Amino acid sequence: MDRLKIFQILIFVAASVIILRLFYWQLVSQIGQNATSAPQDEIPAPRGEIFTSDGFPIVANQEAFLVYGEPHEVRASANVAQTLAPYLVSEKFATLEASLSDESKKQKEEEIKNRQKEIENKLENRNLLWVQLARKAPRVAKVALEQAAGIGFEPDPERFYPEASMAAHVLGFVASDKFGQDTGYFGLEGFYDRLLRGQPGKIRRKLDPFGLPILVDRYRQLAPRSGAILHLSLDRVVQFIVEEKLKSAVVKHGARDGTVIVADPQTGHILAMATYPNYHPGARLGVDEQLYKNPAVADSYEPGSTFKLFATAAALELSLVTPETRCDVCTGSRQIGGFEISTWNKKYFPNSTVTEIIEHSDNVGMTFVAEKLGIDRLYDYLKKFGFGEPTGIDLQEETAASIREKSDWRPIDLATASFGQGIAVTPIQMIQAVSTFANGGRLITPKITEIIEDGSRQQRVSPDQDRQIISAKTAALVTEMMTRSVEKGEARAFAPKGYKIAGKTGTAQIPVAGHYDPEKTIASFIGFAPADDPKFVMLVLLTEPSSSPFGSETAAPTFFEIARELFNYFGVPPQKE
Amino acid sequence: MLIVDFKPEKKQTLSLLGRIKVQVLVMLSVLALSLVAAQLIFAADLATDGAKFAGIEEELARLETQNSSLRVEIAKVSSLSTLSEKAKELGFEKPQQVITP
Repeated sequence: MDRLKIFQILIFVAASVIILRLFYWQLVSQIGQNATSAPQDEIPAPRGEIFTSDGFPIVANQEAFLVYGEPHEVRASANVAQTLAPYLVSEKFATLEASLSDESKKQKEEEIKNRQKEIENKLENRNLLWVQLARKAPRVAKVALEQAAGIGFEPDPERFYPEASMAAHVLGFVASDKFGQDTGYFGLEGFYDRLLRGQPGKIRRKLDPFGLPILVDRYRQLAPRSGAILHLSLDRVVQFIVEEKLKSAVVKHGARDGTVIVADPQTGHILAMATYPNYHPGARLGVDEQLYKNPAVADSYEPGSTFKLFATAAALELSLVTPETRCDVCTGSRQIGGFEISTWNKKYFPNSTVTEIIEHSDNVGMTFVAEKLGIDRLYDYLKKFGFGEPTGIDLQEETAASIREKSDWRPIDLATASFGQGIAVTPIQMIQAVSTFANGGRLITPKITEIIEDGSRQQRVSPDQDRQIISAKTAALVTEMMTRSVEKGEARAFAPKGYKIAGKTGTAQIPVAGHYDPEKTIASFIGFAPADDPKFVMLVLLTEPSSSPFGSETAAPTFFEIARELFNYFGVPPQKE
Repeated sequence: MLIVDFKPEKKQTLSLLGRIKVQVLVMLSVLALSLVAAQLIFAADLATDGAKFAGIEEELARLETQNSSLRVEIAKVSSLSTLSEKAKELGFEKPQQVITP
């Protein structure tokens, strides 16, 4: 065979090898895969942050990682578990070792041991190709394990709360749903979850053997759309003052819990909303789940005497009474439908004016006003004031605290409802309703979010309703009565001097299995200030105070303490001496 | 045998139209070849740009991470709980009276 032939054969063999190899790569290796599309990766969208009215990020995002293992590739599972476990303990131990009590140190060590065992078990299961070891692990954990064989990381950002537990009940929290996706629960996180989570992006591209993207062929990228940013009306300073004062009031008066809401009556914007005890949304392990819901919008209570304002306002609006109309049934206790109606201190004031009825918080006097109104008119006005319907505040867990049907009302219901018994309301409904007296008679939906920033688009959150329900004249008359109630009522000694404050105390008994608990009460005070040009409307609610059952001795002093600080903060000087 | 194979052929003369056709064919071939070459060069260039692109992506991710950690740090030190503790340490007190100009 001559050399030319040998050369031809060699070229033929080489060409055949190349063609076969190309055939393999182009066809055989593609079998079982979708040959027409390149692999797709999801680019997670950062969850929208939440800012207070001063532009402070009360909820931010923090870098964290999902840690996974490939058990067949992991060589030293014990080492991996030992390194990773300390980063996965509850946040309640995330303080300096020295400041932990002996008990906490013991608990921490126990938790680390358990975690370690759990990770080791997962990694020793060789039947698994991929196993999730931890979620929301900090960067330090990634740095410590980056070189470990068979351990990988994926971005898994987590929520960060710079002010710790501040406004926890308003914010809600983020946790995994049944698919492992971050989902908002309760408060703003729950209400605006769809907006806050954004739209994940997609990337379709091919990588070369070194893992670098090949920009020719099918390279396509769909950028993720970040979650919307919420700008709240919540004032961080007011919230701080309220939380500090509320905590000390709950402790001082031995109350089971307490709630305070501060709002701007002109706009319906919430300036502060707090409940104590509260929780840290970033460290919920071991926290009683009952604490998650926001009592300011989710719990109902019997409002007691604070409710007298609404029956009075309705009667004034319909010209059935004037502030000077005298009560002709106020000489003593009354029997209505087989029930005895008496005053809280068994003192009676014959011929009281309507103003004095409010001033003395006279239950018998209120039955006089209620009878002038009748069931139909009182019921219609309670509906007008927003009772029996959710207010529409932008918090997920709001409830309506429904009022029973008009047809079910009996004369005793008319009498008791006029002074706030046998009727349930939520704290936010009370704020919405009392704001009408402060703003000239307008019922405005309370809102916490002022602006939603979605990319370059900014949307102002406007109230669902803003309608005149009573005249400005009636609002002014009720305001005057509330001012008198503060100046001459039981709590006058606690009121800051020089300020005109409109307010009303309330002491409601707690219904238990068909009767009222003889000792437990809900003490409250609702009002606004300065009465002539209100800067805020506020409700203070203390559940089962043990120092005194009365609102005038527990909730009212707390209201005035907070009001004093708010006057300083808003720069409201005293008007009178 | 080889001598026969490489024997010079008889010279043929082409008409004017024929010569133009040949020139057009040659030009088109050159153009097609240049386009193929250009495509190859650009494709090769783009393919190698993957490394640059990955580098930029990495840098972007690093800066974004740094930015978010710094924002978190700023938020931590400017939180009201931190500030009120510092204020107490430095002997600041809450105002007791409203001062207006």
